[in-house]
Amino acid sequence: MLKFIVNDKILETNAHPGTILIDYLRDELKLYGTKEGCKEGECGACTVLAGTLDDKGNISYKSVASCILPIGDVNGSHIVSIEGVNQEELNTIQKAIFDYSASQCGFCTPGIVLSLTYFALSSSEFSYKDAEDALDGNLCRCTGYVAIRNAAKALSDLLKTKSRDMNKRIDVLLEAGVLPSYFAQIPQKLKKLNASSASSPSAKARIIAGGTDLFVQIPDQLVESDLKFISERKDLNYIRVDGNCIRIGAATSLEDFRNSCAVNKYFPFMKDDVLLHSSMILRNKATLAGNIVNASPIGDITIMLLALNASIVIDGNGKTREIALDKFYKDYKKFDLSEGEIIKEILVPFMNEGVLYNFEKVSNRKILDIAAVNSSILIETNGMDIAALRISAGGVASIPLMIGGLDNFRGKEISYETVNKLAEYVVSQVAPIDDVRGSANYKKLLIRQLIFAHFNKLFGVKVCAGEGC
Amino acid sequence: MRNVDMKMHIRGRSVFVDDIPAQEGLLHAVLFLSPIAKGTIEKLDISKANKAEGVAGVFVGKDIPGPNQIGHMIPDQPLFAEKEIQYAGQPIAMVVAESKHLAKKALKLIELQVKEEEGVFEPREAFKSGMIHAAPRVITAGDLDSAWSKCEYIVEGKAHNGPQEHFYFETQRALAVPGEDDTMKVYASVQSPGAFQHHIAEILNIPMHKVELEIRRLGGAFGGKESTAIWAVAPALAAKLLNRPVKMVLGRNEDIATSGKRHPYEFDYKMGLDKDGKILAYQVDLYQQAGAFADISLAVLGRSFLHVSSSYFIPNLKAMAVSCKTNLPSNNAFRGFGVPQGVFVIETAIEHASEVMGVDPSVIKRKNLLQDGDFLPYGMQLEKTNAIRCWEELDRRSGGIARRIKTIEAYNKANTETKKGISVVPVCFGISFAQTALNQGSALANIYADGSVSVSTGAVEMGQGVNMKIALIAAKALSIGKDKVRVETTNTSRIPNASPTSASTGADLNGMAAKMACDTLYKRLQVFAAKKFNHNNPDEISIRDEIVYLKSAKTDYKWEQLIHEAYWDRTDLGCRAFYATPGVYIDRKTERGRPFAYYSYGTSITEVTLDCIRGTYDIDSVDVVHDVGVSLSHNIDKGQIEGAIIQAIGWSTMEQIKYNSKGKMLTAVNSYKIPDIKFCPKEFNVYILENSLNPYAVSNSKAVGEPPFIHGLGAYFALVRALRSFRKDKPLPASLPITPEKAFMYLYE
Ligand SMILES: Cc1cc2nc3c(=O)[nH]c(=O)nc-3n(C[C@H](O)[C@H](O)[C@H](O)COP(=O)(O)OP(=O)(O)OC[C@H]3O[C@@H](n4cnc5c(N)ncnc54)[C@H](O)[C@@H]3O)c2cc1C
Ligand code: FES
Ligand code: FES
Repeated sequence: MLKFIVNDKILETNAHPGTILIDYLRDELKLYGTKEGCKEGECGACTVLAGTLDDKGNISYKSVASCILPIGDVNGSHIVSIEGVNQEELNTIQKAIFDYSASQCGFCTPGIVLSLTYFALSSSEFSYKDAEDALDGNLCRCTGYVAIRNAAKALSDLLKTKSRDMNKRIDVLLEAGVLPSYFAQIPQKLKKLNASSASSPSAKARIIAGGTDLFVQIPDQLVESDLKFISERKDLNYIRVDGNCIRIGAATSLEDFRNSCAVNKYFPFMKDDVLLHSSMILRNKATLAGNIVNASPIGDITIMLLALNASIVIDGNGKTREIALDKFYKDYKKFDLSEGEIIKEILVPFMNEGVLYNFEKVSNRKILDIAAVNSSILIETNGMDIAALRISAGGVASIPLMIGGLDNFRGKEISYETVNKLAEYVVSQVAPIDDVRGSANYKKLLIRQLIFAHFNKLFGVKVCAGEGC
Repeated sequence: MRNVDMKMHIRGRSVFVDDIPAQEGLLHAVLFLSPIAKGTIEKLDISKANKAEGVAGVFVGKDIPGPNQIGHMIPDQPLFAEKEIQYAGQPIAMVVAESKHLAKKALKLIELQVKEEEGVFEPREAFKSGMIHAAPRVITAGDLDSAWSKCEYIVEGKAHNGPQEHFYFETQRALAVPGEDDTMKVYASVQSPGAFQHHIAEILNIPMHKVELEIRRLGGAFGGKESTAIWAVAPALAAKLLNRPVKMVLGRNEDIATSGKRHPYEFDYKMGLDKDGKILAYQVDLYQQAGAFADISLAVLGRSFLHVSSSYFIPNLKAMAVSCKTNLPSNNAFRGFGVPQGVFVIETAIEHASEVMGVDPSVIKRKNLLQDGDFLPYGMQLEKTNAIRCWEELDRRSGGIARRIKTIEAYNKANTETKKGISVVPVCFGISFAQTALNQGSALANIYADGSVSVSTGAVEMGQGVNMKIALIAAKALSIGKDKVRVETTNTSRIPNASPTSASTGADLNGMAAKMACDTLYKRLQVFAAKKFNHNNPDEISIRDEIVYLKSAKTDYKWEQLIHEAYWDRTDLGCRAFYATPGVYIDRKTERGRPFAYYSYGTSITEVTLDCIRGTYDIDSVDVVHDVGVSLSHNIDKGQIEGAIIQAIGWSTMEQIKYNSKGKMLTAVNSYKIPDIKFCPKEFNVYILENSLNPYAVSNSKAVGEPPFIHGLGAYFALVRALRSFRKDKPLPASLPITPEKAFMYLYE
């Protein structure tokens, strides 16, 4: 039996935990305001909010793609669909959309309202940038975004006149006419909900973390399978500084990772780099561990973690073991994880003083797209010489690739010639294939350029090519 | 003024087809599609699927009561392939079951044996082997042959443009509900009420009056719901055969894989100019990639063909256009309807000429802009031309075209890792259906006894705001508040034989009809009021803001009371009106005539930055001046302009479709990328041209849905400029779109 709150109603259901949330909302609850545009997390039309309590009893909401989210995952949460933010008159966010005519056919609009509501709930400074980030997964084919942008700007300006105290956020938004009054009682109601686990006890149960990969690949199968929800493992939802490394629990979402104080302190580039992964409504669910086990040769987080020399802690079958991420992958979608094992946490060592890092990703669309090629570099220098070097490359092999044999470049001076040699070496190590993300030839030439891009960004090494240089 | 539905949209209360609550006994239909692009069906066994859990029926071609035929312009397309297979994704059968999940499961039980043949996927190749949908069209103007010798510069080349997926947010769908006496009510997400009603009636083998097609609104269409009837007809067929309500809703990937696209074209061009850059001669051949069936391709081709000279006066010209038959899903209408392709090739030719001449392309463009008195290739003489006005207005508004180009040149001299590009694109877009007969609209205006008004027209609301425009027109004609006017659903029982809502003519035709109907009602009210006041001249009665005036003197007689009494006096308060655009025609033998009622003009300037290390780019800014006549709604028109331009920038840049060598689509929603909020240019300024009067459309307005699409080509040409400032040793790029992959390969391959 699953228990959750949808808008202002407490619901119980015996539906399979793998039932997709949007189907449940539309088919069972007859809430037709949530629209389905793609059912793959690609468009944002289905965006809803999911609210959960932390151990202190504070509620926090995330925008999520309801088209790839199983109801087992929202067991015990508060789901907010467009019907749940409607008030007597247009609410403050809806009014901004209306004032700027930011809706044409209207099919994407409920999702946009919910993503902006998430912005209002989560942005510490109500900055326009946060609003745009919140909308990065909400496509619109009609408006061309200019009007949506104007509405978001107006909203950001309006909210900036309110208190930014995160502890009082719900009250502030109730007052500002963003949320309807019933939101005030939700934390109390959630506390009393007492939902029991949605996970199957079966040892063979499929592990669902964010579900953002699985529910795109095999939704029809999952609605008939035993499932185990990582999101129930509150004990695995943490980011901890431990000696000279950071430990990230397997239940941590990419957005929590991106916004964590510890991460921002020790790996400040993550704040922007992680934005290149999918979109807000996916990052709010997707996990680092899911990205690793997904084993896509192009996984963005995996490519970052490989260069950063991360390792993973694996639990199961009665023991705990740690393995370096660069030893984890064996072959296409084959890796060192047995049945019964789960990834418990990810360890990322701090970067020593003076060590530099850079991440590059090229995709057809810059945002919300899978890379043609991506790459990270971790480099330690001694004066202008390379002292140590790690380079990962995605999209160029059957696994997320750690480039081996870079020791030869130790002691080499950072210069155009060295980078050119290094780029050529990297190219000699890769074997990309033709696919929808690009031709093999493109990827080969591109990884070469991305090696240049690393050195261009970190050291200003000039990229000599074409005319004019 | 905003879209009438906007408040409901924002609250998630607008009802789309799939939001209509399920009727008792509702079934779900899914199509069984051909896995191959060309071949013949050797064996089709549906028996296992028929017996599967929850299946109500599995249907094939021979189950169709009427002819197995849904060809839009020529009868060449079966609903279900019976023997010949013409494209991968062609429907062969339909499974109808209690749920979509069960229907999809049963699909897997259908057994199909085919004999695969080699398909043809390239238009030039198809043309060579005689695979065309109709004889080529040829148009000539002036004396091309002798013009070449007068040219100082002659450029020649090939060009190509790629397809574009509509990506309307609401995929193809319909709900069919059988009624008494063999009637069928179909709620569908379609743009062509009359044509689709006709297709449904034919397939079901019942007269059209037994088919009621009801259209409330579409979640976007852009032309993609205008001609291909499969997804409205199939559920109606199932509903008829099973006598139960049936719904069909395409999943996004099925929609992408099996629906038509904007037509790719292959072009050969040759352009000649005098030493000052005046274009003297232009020759162009257009090979249209039409796909397996003619669908609406010939009409699209006609528009490409009639727009090959775009905004320029070209004294000597010859164009040939042919629609080529290939083994791909039939391509169909898409915002711009062939015009963007015709413009693309001449802009490419000018780009080419400018390099040979060593001037910026804008210099040539400005020199050749159309003016009053110029003739278009089909012999029509221009008047009220706003091409130069738009250009000059843009020059003033955008910080000076020449100055902006200089700034970019300086930037490119100083930078090697990034390059900028800039492009000016003028627009001259003919308005009317190129198919003369379609230029008709009708409206039914009813005033109810309480004073509320309802207007029905043949126009379909798809987000473009046509219903608000019609409400405004009606409210103005009756001089009442627009809240008193409700624009009804588009319904074939109220409005017969409605033309598609397309060619940007929705408001022109239907708005004019609505105005005529309301004008008639107004006259009847004048007569009634005159009688009441014992006044002998009804013309001296007027209604202003819901109050009756007698000889300009305000009375205390208000709208509600007027209507109430008019009703009791037995005044006819309902009126139907019909409008046909006067004077549009084209003689297909000579290709001479007046195919368009008027033209929409505009000019834009687009700036981009190319990252020459990675091959990626940003569209930095777009400034546009566009002519919408006297705007019916500033908000709606601005939204149409912005939306069209971003859509065209998508087509010019990131939107690409890949097939394998056997004609099977590889692209799905996770690889078909449309612009997102962060891709939208940081600077986007739209200016509506002032003081433009248009006597050829309702209230002096101009159509706005499609013409601004052309501006988006600026992103392509600005990228070309940026690429060229990095590499000049290669031939000029002449293939749209420029994806990051293509940009990169141009830089580094
Ligand atoms: C629209 C869209 C855009 C995307 N964009 C990107 C992108 O830009 N870059 C990118 O890299 N990826 C992208 N992805 C892929 C996917 O979102 C990511 O790989 C994501 O990180 C997966 O995490 P998850 O928690 O959702 O995984 P899930 O789907 O929950 O799981 C993925 C796999 O990992 C297993 N698993 C999860 N957690 C554990 C664990 N703790 N122990 C053992 N096994 C586990 C699951 O059983 C499953 O096999 C995108 C996906 C979608 C739908
Ligand atoms: S329906 Fe497109 S993201 Fe969910
Ligand atoms: S308004 Fe139509 S998709 Fe956004």
